[in-house]
Amino acid sequence: MSVPGHMEFFVDPSRCIGCQSCVQACSECDTHKGQSMIHLEYVERSVSTQTTPVICMHCDSPTCAEVCPADAIKRTADGVVQSARKPRCIACNNCVLACPFGVPKMMVEFDLMMKCDMCYDRTSVGKKPMCASVCPSQALFFGTREQIEQSRPNAAPLNRFQFGNQEITTKVNMMVPATHAARVEHIDVAAALESGPTERRVALSVMDPGQQGVR
Amino acid sequence: MTREQIKAAVWGLLATAILTVLIILGSRNLEHFDAALVGYTFASIFAAFAITYRYAMWLQRPPTALYWRRGWRVFFRRPFLRRNLRVWLGRIWSGFALNLFIWRRGRRRWLAHWLIMWGCVIAAAITFPLVFGWIHFETPPGDFEHYRVFVFGFPTIKFAIDGGLGFVIFHGLVWAALLVIPGVMIAMYRRMRDHGAGAVQQFGEDFLPLILLFAISMTGLMLTASYTWMKGYGYDFLAILHAITVIFALLWLPFGKFFHIFQRPAQLGVAFYKDVGGMSEPARCARCGAEYASKMHVDDLIEVEKALGYRYDVDDGRIDHYQRICPQCRRASLAIAQGKLWELARGQMETTHTAGMDIADLLTGESGG
Amino acid sequence: MAQAIDNTALLEKFGPHGAFSTGLRLAANVEPDRVVNTHCCFCGQQCGIQLKVKDNEVIGFEPWFDFPFSRGMLCPKGVKRYLQGSHPDRLLHAYQRDPSAPEGFRELGYERAVEQVAGAISRIQREHGPDAFAILTGASLTTEKAYLMGKFARVCLGTANIDYNGRLCMVSAAAGNKKAFGIDRAANPWDDILHADMIWISGANVAECAPITTDYVWRARDLGAKIIVVDPRITPIARTCDLFLPVKPGRDIALFNGILHLMIERDWLDHDFIQNQTVGFDKVAECVNPWTPARTAEVTGIPERLIHQAAEWWGTAKSSFLMHARGIEHHSHGVQNVLGAINIVLASGRIGREGGGYATITGQGNGQGGREHGQKCDQLPGARDISNPEHRDYIAKVWGIKPEEMPGPGVDAYEIIRKIDSGEIRGLLSICFNPKISLPDNNFVARALDKLDFYVAIDFFLNETARHADIVLPGSLHEEDEGVVTQIEGRVIKINKAVECPGEARQDWRIIQDIAAALDRPHGFTFTEPKEIFDELRTASRGGVADYSGITYEKIDNQYGVFWPCPSEDHPGTPRLFEPGSWNPVAKGAGPFYFPDGKARFNVADYTPPAEDVDSEFPIMLTTGRVVSQFLSGTQTRRIGPLVEQFPEPRIEMHPQLAERIGVVDGDWVTTESRRGDCTLQALVVTTIRPDTVFIPYHWPGRKSANQLTISAQDPISKIPEYKVCAVRLRKAERVPDAK
Repeated sequence: MSVPGHMEFFVDPSRCIGCQSCVQACSECDTHKGQSMIHLEYVERSVSTQTTPVICMHCDSPTCAEVCPADAIKRTADGVVQSARKPRCIACNNCVLACPFGVPKMMVEFDLMMKCDMCYDRTSVGKKPMCASVCPSQALFFGTREQIEQSRPNAAPLNRFQFGNQEITTKVNMMVPATHAARVEHIDVAAALESGPTERRVALSVMDPGQQGVR
Repeated sequence: MTREQIKAAVWGLLATAILTVLIILGSRNLEHFDAALVGYTFASIFAAFAITYRYAMWLQRPPTALYWRRGWRVFFRRPFLRRNLRVWLGRIWSGFALNLFIWRRGRRRWLAHWLIMWGCVIAAAITFPLVFGWIHFETPPGDFEHYRVFVFGFPTIKFAIDGGLGFVIFHGLVWAALLVIPGVMIAMYRRMRDHGAGAVQQFGEDFLPLILLFAISMTGLMLTASYTWMKGYGYDFLAILHAITVIFALLWLPFGKFFHIFQRPAQLGVAFYKDVGGMSEPARCARCGAEYASKMHVDDLIEVEKALGYRYDVDDGRIDHYQRICPQCRRASLAIAQGKLWELARGQMETTHTAGMDIADLLTGESGG
Repeated sequence: MAQAIDNTALLEKFGPHGAFSTGLRLAANVEPDRVVNTHCCFCGQQCGIQLKVKDNEVIGFEPWFDFPFSRGMLCPKGVKRYLQGSHPDRLLHAYQRDPSAPEGFRELGYERAVEQVAGAISRIQREHGPDAFAILTGASLTTEKAYLMGKFARVCLGTANIDYNGRLCMVSAAAGNKKAFGIDRAANPWDDILHADMIWISGANVAECAPITTDYVWRARDLGAKIIVVDPRITPIARTCDLFLPVKPGRDIALFNGILHLMIERDWLDHDFIQNQTVGFDKVAECVNPWTPARTAEVTGIPERLIHQAAEWWGTAKSSFLMHARGIEHHSHGVQNVLGAINIVLASGRIGREGGGYATITGQGNGQGGREHGQKCDQLPGARDISNPEHRDYIAKVWGIKPEEMPGPGVDAYEIIRKIDSGEIRGLLSICFNPKISLPDNNFVARALDKLDFYVAIDFFLNETARHADIVLPGSLHEEDEGVVTQIEGRVIKINKAVECPGEARQDWRIIQDIAAALDRPHGFTFTEPKEIFDELRTASRGGVADYSGITYEKIDNQYGVFWPCPSEDHPGTPRLFEPGSWNPVAKGAGPFYFPDGKARFNVADYTPPAEDVDSEFPIMLTTGRVVSQFLSGTQTRRIGPLVEQFPEPRIEMHPQLAERIGVVDGDWVTTESRRGDCTLQALVVTTIRPDTVFIPYHWPGRKSANQLTISAQDPISKIPEYKVCAVRLRKAERVPDAK
């Protein structure tokens, strides 16, 4: 059993509404029942309602697997980076600290790292992963490239990410503006370190705040 | 052959040589060596080579090498050695003897592993010394009621042949099999019923070891049954069958799931590394300032990543390496980086504002359009 | 008499306790006995869901990808809804108030309980008249049950006083739609959102209250639509809209009038449409004349340039979809707000076609169906009017009674509480309603409930209101019964039974029929299955505006729901209203709208300030609403562990400027006071809310209840309470409240 090649994961954090359906649904998957592997957080709640869902991006050359001293993380032939093999994982936390996307979770009580495996029990038999099935904003979309191209003509998938001098390519795609897809070689994550939450603001304003009485 | 492979091969040969010498010494120049078990011996010697070779290869991987080095260094650090020894014993008890970490993952899983593990430990403790001729039994001169146990040719305890202790000792492998078989059954049941396990399991990795353990235990029990109740019916055939299963398992030890028997104790070393990390200087995220690991760990990982050929170094003066950012900020930065592309695309990029949106600015017009 | 019981033993026994996945639900190796296609039990969207059932227990779910509206999508409530079954707090028996029992209630045989209820009803009605016994119902009931409740009140009890919790929800939209279009239903199916190049969202926290509608909005944006959001807070949907208008709570009508003013001034009007399809434009034009951008900006608090921008985008759009929700409806002038929204839709001429969409986002599960078939105080099945003699005659015939036996219109839900307080109403039956949390000024509500001679509550959990009850009857959960509901689009869909009622609990319609039998008035209450009720309902709705007569359970199954009106079995249903030639029993071909002349109505909707405006004593506006992981009064969602963990406590949301002035930082405890009560919560200090406004979600009871503060002022037409704005003052709390 393996994930069919034409079914792909497309993530668009800018659509996310922070509802946590993905988080709640994640724990319903049989490969990690009762444990939610997806991350969903406010970027900076004090100034924005922006939230971001983070699933495993399934790197072509997974840093987590390479820094694993116990050889516990395997990438299957279909490109899915599997959760740690339980007999091997020694809970050293290397993968948690090394993943440039911040994905693996250390389950301290189990002495075990667990991570998103794209709901392998579902995707390997042709079903959608739980999070992308339920996602009300479809910030998490699982389907074919044709489907995404057809339904989102203004966006294009990109799977290259830059962290300092390191470029990482992934099985999972992130949606970027179609106008930029040709020009942008990668999403430069390290370059965004100094920025705050992003909005889609149209700020046209002239008004005085007026009466705001406070006791 | 690469340098690592040569090194590993040398270690492997060394281990093989040591084992061979020990067999010769322990069996008093093969005096107590049972020629019928020679197949087992050769398989064991091969396994010793292959396991050592693989272990050495494994230890030469940058992350493992670092942990290995660091782990021992922190373990033997003077002020901590006494404490470390005490903690180490405790961890052997809870982690190895009781498998408490598996208990927390699930009771049934724990039971399966615990039964299989202790069955195998008992079986290994009996068979290897017997095969290598390190242990043999003799009746003391003139005393047909008792056996004396010889270890490495040295006489030790004596027990009554027909006594309870004798029964327990002579049936040691039966007890081991009776632990392993239910354990295997529980594990098999899970592998056949659990949808999650079903999705990720592979035959070679997950089923073959269980089948081997089952086959060894069953053929072993059949041998006992054969000589106890059936006057040795089919004994020779069963002996060969048993030998085949055992030898296959020995040869398989270095390759599949069984290798975790040798890898897993590294967990104990990791625990000490973490202990020391917890007591030493923390790493603070260069973006949010939160503590997210020990600085030692982060520095070590940077070294490991470099050794692996990763270039997560950042050329911008504020931070030297992406490793200095905590996982949570990495997740946020990913969303921000993607969001910025959309802001740019919509031509609404604002140069002055880098953080969110203040409704008050919208009302007062501080934020230009 | 009936003081609320609120002791530790009661909480221990009846909860709320949070249920988590354990046992069969957590095991990854269980094959369900069957998988039941049904819908989520919560909001008006009614997303499709497949419940996995084993041993008469719902053990999990699968997304229902084939249901076309939601295509597998679910919000967190839908994902964890399965945990409400097999719950430790589930009422398995009837209970009787008994102060000597440690929990304050003791078990009572079901039959005995029903007899006691019948006895109390008879006594109260005999001593104080039939209207002295009132019924409060809910819009989460299936349409069959809603219909039966209306019939039970009018036929069995003969009381005029029945009303429902939709009164707190969609009634302003309903009234506005009836005044403007002659019909109360979303004008368009949600697929039409995709065909809009301009989407206007007023007072709707889509991301949290109608989460999967987000997908429709984003998909429209993918195809080039622009999105305008009007809200006092930058809600998640507002964060990424194209134009955000930070309106002051309670000023929506001013904004709509200002927009219409600019549309007229710049001639962004569809003159043909206004001329041929509507009446009343001139009067409205006159009314909006003074609403210059400057005045609009001053009243709404929205910068003038944003108003110009919005008017231009709306005015010049080729296609559009306007949607609104409680944000503009929960006001003492909620109907006016809705009419203002409709006025800008009508002026644009974009209605009744694929590229012209308008809808209210219905809140409750059966908010639509529950307000059509007679559990509303002034209404009879088929969206008929209880004061209309023709309508009375028809329904009386269906029910087999004389028209004169049928009571007239009763009073609205809040008025029922007031009449309880004044002693006019002495007895109450409630089902599917938790007014002690959900009504405004709820300290008053609690005091009124204490005065009842007799109160019977039907529910599956002992909610906060039911703790005042004399008798509690164990009703059915959503998954324990079948029936239809009508979702957000006007699509009639089928709820399917997954499991049997546990213990002595039974389906709500059976309980009602048992009471009718115990009253010795079983006539018309001898149904044996919901389908029979539905068949009678079809007949009762025939010829009404909300005509269900052509809908059958089979047809719903075959075509994934049927949009009403559906006047005959060969009629496919009506996904989009107001299309030329579509079935219309009122206009009869004169035009697309549901008036005899077939024309839509412009309605003058002038601005009036909120019932309680800010002043020097109470200088801050409070607005209330929901969070995504909780639903309404939380009777169910506060019992689902993972949802409780997602948002464990209400917090008061305020701007840092305001926080600074009262000297608090994020996480500090803040006491909010209104003229009606006070409430101490932790502050959530964010720049995403207007500095003159604070927000509190309302799902919690007791000291955490936002509705201690809110005002019971109501819209004169719809009788909806003004939840969305009242005046409060804030101060740093002296001490941390007890953790109860």
